[in-house]
Amino acid sequence: MSPRTALLALAEILAWWAALTVLWLVLISTVDTLELAVGAGAAGAAAVAARAARRAVSGP
Amino acid sequence: MADAVIVVALLLVAGSATAAVAVRDPVRQALVLAVLGVALAVLFTVLQAPDVALSQLAVGSVLTPLLLLLTVRKVKRRGQRKGREQ
Amino acid sequence: MNGWTLTAALVLGGGVGATLWGVATGPLRRRVVAQNLSTALACPALLLLSQGYDRPSYVDLALVLALLGPVGTLVFARLLSGELAGDPPRAQGVTWAAAGLGAAVVLALCVAVGPGRAMAKLLVVGALLVGGNLVASRALSGGFREVSRG
Repeated sequence: MSPRTALLALAEILAWWAALTVLWLVLISTVDTLELAVGAGAAGAAAVAARAARRAVSGP
Repeated sequence: MADAVIVVALLLVAGSATAAVAVRDPVRQALVLAVLGVALAVLFTVLQAPDVALSQLAVGSVLTPLLLLLTVRKVKRRGQRKGREQ
Repeated sequence: MNGWTLTAALVLGGGVGATLWGVATGPLRRRVVAQNLSTALACPALLLLSQGYDRPSYVDLALVLALLGPVGTLVFARLLSGELAGDPPRAQGVTWAAAGLGAAVVLALCVAVGPGRAMAKLLVVGALLVGGNLVASRALSGGFREVSRG
């Protein structure tokens, strides 16, 4: 994996992570620090899964 | 007057359940069962049981029709294979 | 009993009642369209009920239904594709009517709750509802034939 593709992969996962964290924050009822931490962790896992799914559907 | 929504939801459940029994073909029955699941979820909601309604939605609107249709498809394929062998 | 629950009762009785009639009678292509419409109409009704009971957490029900309703319709579209291919359903008018009803309900609720996180959640539900409904309707009428052939 060249530095360029690694950078692109990181950028894509970061974009997914930001979007999914915003979605989590919109859907929960009360915002506090614990919710924020759990949401960021869950969004991180989901971002990796989302990139894998995107690659599986439309190719790398 | 305050219970109009409950009456409507009860009528919907009664109607869709009767239709699910009256329809004979399993494929069409799966369609009616999906509607019955949604109607039951609405009934649970108006009776102030949203947690029950959530699980009813997940099971009734996707899982039951999927299992029914997969079963029907498998039985049909087995019937076709047996017919070809004879 | 307020205006919200009354409207919900009307949507349930008129809309879902009509789809119940449609799903219990007629040819297969009408039944699958009616099943799709029943979820597309029950979701706005659940949103109206959540506002009528003044319980914002009930919006989760509409969110789950907006997600799972089209998934259920896609199950039918995929597993019945052989039977629907010869006689594909065409339901542009009612599909757009249901989508318009969903959008109108979401907009009315957005006006009622005012700007904030609750409004953003309502907009997410509305986008899922309208988008999922249109995608499911297109899949039923054979719009994704190259995918469903597998």
